Amino acid sequence: MSIFTPTNQIRLTNVAVVRMKKGGKRFEIACYKNKVMSWRSGAEKDLDEVLQTNTVFVNVSKGQVAKKDDLSSAFGTEDLTEICKQILAKGELQVSDRERQSQLEQMFRDIATIVAEKCVNPETKRPYTVSLIERAMKDIHFSVKANKSTKQQALEVIKQLQQSIQIQRAHMRLRFVLPARDGKRLKEKLRPLIKTVENEDFDEQLEMVYLFIVQVCLIDPGCFRDIDELIRCETKGKGTLEVLSLKDVEEGDEKLE
Amino acid sequence: MVLHLEKIIALQKKTSCIRNLCILAHVDHGKTTLADSLVASNGIISSRLAGKLRYLDSREDEQIRGITMKSSAISLHYTTGNEYLINLIDSPGHVDFSSEVSTAVRLCDGAIIVVDAVEGVCPQTQVVLRQAWLENIRPVLVINKIDRLIVELKLTSQEAFTHLQKILEQVNAVTGSLFTSKVLEERAEKDAEAQSSCTENSSADQVYDWSAGLEETDDSDLYFSPDRGNVVFASAIDGWGFRIHQFAEMYSQKMGIRSSVLLKTLWGDFYLNAKAQKIMKGAQSKGKKPLFVQLVLDNIWSMYDAVVTRRDKEKVEKMVTSLGLKVMSRDLRHSDPKVLLSAICSQWLPVSQAVLSMVCEKLPCPAEISAERVEKLMSVGARRFDSLPEKTQELKKAFLDCSADDTAPVIVFVSKMFAVDSKALPQNKQRPLTQEEISQRRELARQRHAERQAANQSAESPRSADAGGTSTPAGPAGNALCAQTEALSVKAAVEEESKEHFVAFARVYSGIIRKGQKVFVLGPKYNPSLALRLPEGCSVADVLPSIPHMACCTVDRLYLLMGRELEDLDEVPSGNVLGIGGMEEFILKSATISTSPACPPFTPLSFEATPIVRVAVEPKHPSEMPKLVRGMRLLNQADPCAEVLIQETGEHVLVTAGEVHLQRCLDDLRERFAKIEISVSEPIIPFRETVIRPPKMDMVNEDLGKQQKVAVIHQVKEEQMKIPEGVQVDSTGLVTLTTSNKMATVGVRAIPLPEEVTRLLEDNVELIRTMEQFSLFAWEDKTLDINQKILENIQDFKVKLESNLQGHKWRGAVEHIWAFGPRRFGPNILLNNIEGYRRPSVWQCLEREKETERAEIRDFDNSIVSGFQLATLSGPMCEEPLMGVCFSVETWDMKISVPQAQQDSVDEDSQPSEPNNDDQSERSDMHETSSNRSRSRAEAAGGSVDCYGPFSGQLIAAMKDTCRYAFQAKPQRLMAAMYTCEIMATAEVLGRMYAVLSKREGRVLQEEMKEGTDMFIIKAVLPVAESFGFADEIRKRTSGLASPQLVFSHWEVIGSDPFWVPTTEEEYLHFGEKADSANQALKYRNAVRRRKGLYVEEKLVEHAEKQRTLSKNK
Repeated sequence: MSIFTPTNQIRLTNVAVVRMKKGGKRFEIACYKNKVMSWRSGAEKDLDEVLQTNTVFVNVSKGQVAKKDDLSSAFGTEDLTEICKQILAKGELQVSDRERQSQLEQMFRDIATIVAEKCVNPETKRPYTVSLIERAMKDIHFSVKANKSTKQQALEVIKQLQQSIQIQRAHMRLRFVLPARDGKRLKEKLRPLIKTVENEDFDEQLEMVYLFIVQVCLIDPGCFRDIDELIRCETKGKGTLEVLSLKDVEEGDEKLE
Repeated sequence: MVLHLEKIIALQKKTSCIRNLCILAHVDHGKTTLADSLVASNGIISSRLAGKLRYLDSREDEQIRGITMKSSAISLHYTTGNEYLINLIDSPGHVDFSSEVSTAVRLCDGAIIVVDAVEGVCPQTQVVLRQAWLENIRPVLVINKIDRLIVELKLTSQEAFTHLQKILEQVNAVTGSLFTSKVLEERAEKDAEAQSSCTENSSADQVYDWSAGLEETDDSDLYFSPDRGNVVFASAIDGWGFRIHQFAEMYSQKMGIRSSVLLKTLWGDFYLNAKAQKIMKGAQSKGKKPLFVQLVLDNIWSMYDAVVTRRDKEKVEKMVTSLGLKVMSRDLRHSDPKVLLSAICSQWLPVSQAVLSMVCEKLPCPAEISAERVEKLMSVGARRFDSLPEKTQELKKAFLDCSADDTAPVIVFVSKMFAVDSKALPQNKQRPLTQEEISQRRELARQRHAERQAANQSAESPRSADAGGTSTPAGPAGNALCAQTEALSVKAAVEEESKEHFVAFARVYSGIIRKGQKVFVLGPKYNPSLALRLPEGCSVADVLPSIPHMACCTVDRLYLLMGRELEDLDEVPSGNVLGIGGMEEFILKSATISTSPACPPFTPLSFEATPIVRVAVEPKHPSEMPKLVRGMRLLNQADPCAEVLIQETGEHVLVTAGEVHLQRCLDDLRERFAKIEISVSEPIIPFRETVIRPPKMDMVNEDLGKQQKVAVIHQVKEEQMKIPEGVQVDSTGLVTLTTSNKMATVGVRAIPLPEEVTRLLEDNVELIRTMEQFSLFAWEDKTLDINQKILENIQDFKVKLESNLQGHKWRGAVEHIWAFGPRRFGPNILLNNIEGYRRPSVWQCLEREKETERAEIRDFDNSIVSGFQLATLSGPMCEEPLMGVCFSVETWDMKISVPQAQQDSVDEDSQPSEPNNDDQSERSDMHETSSNRSRSRAEAAGGSVDCYGPFSGQLIAAMKDTCRYAFQAKPQRLMAAMYTCEIMATAEVLGRMYAVLSKREGRVLQEEMKEGTDMFIIKAVLPVAESFGFADEIRKRTSGLASPQLVFSHWEVIGSDPFWVPTTEEEYLHFGEKADSANQALKYRNAVRRRKGLYVEEKLVEHAEKQRTLSKNK
């Protein structure tokens, strides 16, 4: 039992504790703040930059070092560095404020990018820029939830944004061919899902008994599944559906005059 | 003022008494100050304030910054025996606003060039001299700020004389070089013509003429010389200026020498021999005082000495009396000697007198317009004057006559549109009401009041029945209400009127323009020959058939431009500068107005500065987008040099001539046009991703392979980007992946396309699109008619592709092209290298006639293509589109057994999808496949919905991922957009310009000298990513002597590998362990990823030990 005096005490500052329970025992290691996440993501490759010391503790704040027997029984090795790596990879830790902040920031931007990619200004048929979307998101006080996927949140944001700015999901351009027999009936069902019909074509081939209705139209991407299902079920596999473009946007630069 | 206006209107009719002129100079050489003293001479502003007020700088930011930003006109009246009307246009001197100078110069017949006596000829001076020269207008010179030579530099009069001589030489040198380059050019043209005729005649005895024609052409009248009377020496701030005429006349009386002799000898190397009372030559060699110093400069020097330096009151008084001036005692006592000085000088040698008399004598009146200039104005672009329609050529006479007859055709040129606050328009100005109007209004108000009261009464009558007393207070209440509504309506009216009004800045070249007249407005691209094809007798009033760039409108309002004020006019005869209101709907930036449809549009203004500074503009509040767009439209109209555009990314980009110009445009947007808060940022820079062949050299130019790699100490480079399970990568880069339901396996390899192929694909986007459309129609089994020409083009394209894709690796590749991408027409190729799968080729439009063996389309063919499209749309490096990559699908195995199983459930009338009989016609075959496909598609979607979603979707995802991994298996590179940059620079700034170029990763392609000048033309390429602020930096570093022009040219692979880490000993030595200094590609990639919110491999904290240990609240 060493004597607990200030002279032989090593004080650690900037400690982030990573804990792990294994074999019924609790193990802790002392790391630097803001470094554990970088290590996990692979950006930090130098272990010495992450670990304050490669001792494994039972309790870091009290300075109680884990017993060798416990370590070898729990991890099956006595190599401290190896054990530290295991704890680093799988242990639980409190995410520091800067780590969380940068993560949220990144997600926020990611959501904005997704929104900007999916939406257009309905007046000009041109996309909004990411920075504008970000600002609009801040205006409606949108807060990022770390445990939801960015895509999911982006879809929610679009709905909220529609109240403050002129924004709309970019339409998909579809083209479907329907057999004439079911065509009329199906068209009525499809009508509420379709935004605009650009082109409608009846085509009768005398040799064959088929009659096609070809439609090129724009729809909201949210309805795609429904339309797909309708056509599939109603025509019993004779209608075809084709995506001409995922996003209907203006192309090229335009000079304002 | 009213009297003044009437006089001006009267004078406008006398063409010979009109002088249209502008003031041009380098920035801060005193244009506006000079204009101030000229304005003061007309009593519009006090002469005391002249030089301080800067009357023509009416914008707030102009006053704050102290520079002029727009050209503005004012009409002045000047009398010397004859009465003259002077239309003076003040112009900005800053490089960024040289477009404003162009608009001013176009409307004038003459120009006053102002040169600072201390600074001499500056870059902008050269530019304006060139502009004046190009527009064929006659310049006169004012050497300004001579007081600085005395007070600041403390030169003696002798030194000042040599200094002035030098400046004059410099100016003349510039004019001379302009002249020579023009003569040489003409000569070159003549030579070319002669040569062509020579070859025709094939004359053997050709005598070469070495004289270059310079000697034959007389250029003496081009130069500035005081004895010719086109130079004024002045100090506009102190209010004095003179020509040597004045002194010559003064001394000829005193000394008894003829004034003509004095005039010739006063400037130059002459001195006065006091004994002989003779003027002799050679003052310099004999060490005598030149005449100019003795008679002119010494006087001025001694006055400055007495008034400013020594403040000798007695001497001043003596001087004042000897000059016969009257100076107010208030000025004499004033503590600031400058006040006294300007009081004396402005009486003794008033600058306005000197300048205006010179202008009237030396500059031409509008009627003296030269035929050469007319032809130049009328012939647009490269068209020769002779090639214009006959009727148009006839108009030349009208130009030359410049007559203000009613019969003469009206020709007006609008050089720019400027925005005016509606409050400044004369019709909205507040003026005292006449007695009649007052009584009228009173009557109206009374009526309204009565009505209101009646209404109140009737409304309240039931209530008043209840309580009798209420009706009495209703009167005042109703009155108040009435007043309120009135105020409201007034407010509404004000709001409506506070819209920006545009006034056209114009000049009449022929005829009289009247209010209410119907005229044609001809846009810059109008072609007179189109209108002339119309039947005869088609008058202005007729409703126009739609001729491009032509509109018909009524002249709404005419204004006299008086600096910041406008005066209403009813008619303006030819030769005058004027403002036209109500034209904003017809004119964008410049136009020609005429009563004759034969009139050609004037040549577009030659801008010395083209817009190059690009920024992205956004509203602070996203909901204000429409306001911003409207504001930008207005700005575009109001500014001759600004450009606005919406990019494909949705960014609103503003392109301006320079940083100062940008600042002004933004201020205008914020405060006048959009009236919203805006934010400005660097525009988004696009990149492309590509793969290359494995490089042979490493970063320190050592041969790879020969060296042994040293063990990397602690950076173990993870092999191939953590590829997840289920993806197999073999050593040649073939990547195989199975869909999540284990039903299908795809194997793809990424191959870099040769550069020529990429370019070929980019150039032929339209053709690819047509081909795509054709196959789409064939898919639906219809035919799209493509005309023969396009078919030939496609054939040509195919041949070219084949010739570029040589070598065994590409054998048969062209025939096997499956699709292009992204968006079906991009510069990436999907190849079908699957054994045993023949599908209709993309070239089927070419093979329409040939009855080739029928190819079958496999099920889910479309999913593979979609996967490819998605993969090429955003690459793995930073989600930017791919370019120049070929994905070759080598294996595609389907374990799906669904088609067979479901066959029975499918409609009875569709034929089984067995391989078709050969004797069936092609047509029914096609039917078969299409119906077949539609069915199987539905089956697949219906039959294979497992826990992973529809199968087609899975295949798309699998294909996309496979392509991405295949891409990553190869050495990846970023491609940057490049500008070609053309820079004109003088020899002395070449070095500094190269420094800027190399700092921004630019590369010089060629450099050549322009003939006849000392200008170099340098061609370079520069990455778009580095171009932000480039123009400004190069201008700053070369003090404006080099001006770049940027045009997008091509995509270029960035040499460095974004994933590179040092692996060999040399690389370690050279780049260090982290190697983060030199990697441009990594820098770009991280910037893009960060912007998009993608994961960037960066440490939050670089050094763990160096963190701030304090907690937040300490």
